[in-house]
Amino acid sequence: MSDYSAAPPPTPLAFALRTAPKVTATIIMLALAAVWLGPIILIVMTSIKSNEAFLAGPFALPTSPTLAPYFSVWASMQFGTLLANSLLYATVGSALAVLLALVPAFGLSRMEVPGKRIIFGLLLTGLMLPQQTVLIPLYDTLRALNLLDTRIGLIIVHGAYGMPAQVLILRGFMTAIPREIEKAAYLEGASDFQIFWKVMLPLSLPGILVGYTLNFIAIWKEFVFALVFLNHEANFPVTVGMLKLNSDRYMAVFNLPAAGLVISQIPIIILFILTYRQLSGGNFVGAVKG
Amino acid sequence: MTPILNEQSVQSFVDFARQHTFVALLGVVLPILVFCVFVGYPIVYTIYLSFFDWNGMTPTKHFIGLANYVYLFHDKYFYVALVNNFKWLAVTLLFPVTVGFLIAYVMRARLVYGAAFLRTVVFFPVTMSLIAVGLMFLLILNPLFGAFDDVLRAIGLGFLVREWFGDYRIALYTLAFVSGWAFTGLPMVFYFAGLGDVPKETMDAARIEGAGHLRMMWSVALPQLRPVTAVVVMLTIFESLKAFDLVAVMTRGAPFGTTNVLGYLVYLETFWNSRFGYGATLSVAILVVSIALATLVLSRLLKGAFDV
Repeated sequence: MSDYSAAPPPTPLAFALRTAPKVTATIIMLALAAVWLGPIILIVMTSIKSNEAFLAGPFALPTSPTLAPYFSVWASMQFGTLLANSLLYATVGSALAVLLALVPAFGLSRMEVPGKRIIFGLLLTGLMLPQQTVLIPLYDTLRALNLLDTRIGLIIVHGAYGMPAQVLILRGFMTAIPREIEKAAYLEGASDFQIFWKVMLPLSLPGILVGYTLNFIAIWKEFVFALVFLNHEANFPVTVGMLKLNSDRYMAVFNLPAAGLVISQIPIIILFILTYRQLSGGNFVGAVKG
Repeated sequence: MTPILNEQSVQSFVDFARQHTFVALLGVVLPILVFCVFVGYPIVYTIYLSFFDWNGMTPTKHFIGLANYVYLFHDKYFYVALVNNFKWLAVTLLFPVTVGFLIAYVMRARLVYGAAFLRTVVFFPVTMSLIAVGLMFLLILNPLFGAFDDVLRAIGLGFLVREWFGDYRIALYTLAFVSGWAFTGLPMVFYFAGLGDVPKETMDAARIEGAGHLRMMWSVALPQLRPVTAVVVMLTIFESLKAFDLVAVMTRGAPFGTTNVLGYLVYLETFWNSRFGYGATLSVAILVVSIALATLVLSRLLKGAFDV
């Protein structure tokens, strides 16, 4: 707008007419958002209700909120152990996956590695493979190595299966790093390892953080491997331990399972709040697009 | 197709390894080793086991040739599970992928206020474990205390109320829709990123030509997004074939095995019925179906999107 005088001040009616379509669309979108947000709000509401308040129906507001269901389910489900296990698997497993992926990502982003296409093919296979097709041999191998029902066994499997996605994500980030610095370093006579260690690693730290976070979430969600490879409750991650919530003992009044599932997601919620701008913006998509 | 390993490629790798030993060892040999141990060998061993009768405990396995496969083709649970996987895939292609695309388009075209809020809300369930999602919907869809039936009645759709998990005709679709609910954020994010790459001029030109939004989506955005669609469809296929967690937490195959999917059947046969050989045969079936579907998508939708 260069000529203010020409345009009459917008009357409320004109403004309303102009924005009406967008407002309508927004209302439809809000209804859609309710489909995703509604269940979560209802569950959080249920989780802070007393047994009596629960009987008033799912939409009744928790007039006298209580944390009693949380304390009760925390103690009887041993959520402390479950959360600690999940935390261990997710932190160490993701670290292993990233460590395995760093040099392959460096090579694939910077060099004409012979057999590049084959390596990508293998990575995509590892990424896409339904877990059930390798479950039995992995079970057998872990048993032969006495790693069945151990934390370290599960961590190794998680690390190996996290690697392909990490290579693709990190390669995406490393490709975007300008090459001037390393060119100078090469001219100074630096070795591949020095370039990797002193130049690439520090510069790709943001990428490493994104990859690590995604892997952390993936392991936190993982269920099949943990269910099959672990037998003792002391080793269970949250996902497997939580299965017990779907039993008559807990399902009699919904505040207990609701509280339990909120507890199980708290670390992820914290992580989500810290990183969702990066994650939901699709920063990792470019890596997958190859 | 040229052979994967010929003399020339081996020679070029040796040359590369001389020049870049560090990258050759940790960047090429290591990932290939990890692949062989955790993917290659297990697949081969699964195929091998599928010719044996084995309870998983005894040191000896009985070679029974194709008997497991003969059994497979007469196993009605296998067919039910296979068809269920395809139903699951159909729901996932229709609901989360379509809705995810629509939301992404609406946000990119700035058709609504508060788009960032919507994106956050729809993406959040992607980060939730499916076990938690399953438990959540067990509560929401419960016939006595659940909120969903109340909502249906309140908006005058009470006649739609069903036994969401008890009715064998719809229990599987209930699971598939719950899975779609949790999955929608992923296609949305992919399309959102993809639409950001569509040149603004293309969109503006179409606008000026007088294209409506439906036309823009169909004739301008979607053709440009073919590689993204290919990736999304691949993800959807494998997500559907992997279906397991929701079945395990919500129905365990009930009622009457009508919500069994292949992934869950493998688990049941192998680790509950101790039929490791037959479990392996079912695994091979999953593998064959995944390869067939992946090949179909790669040849149809995606010519060169994975080229590197």
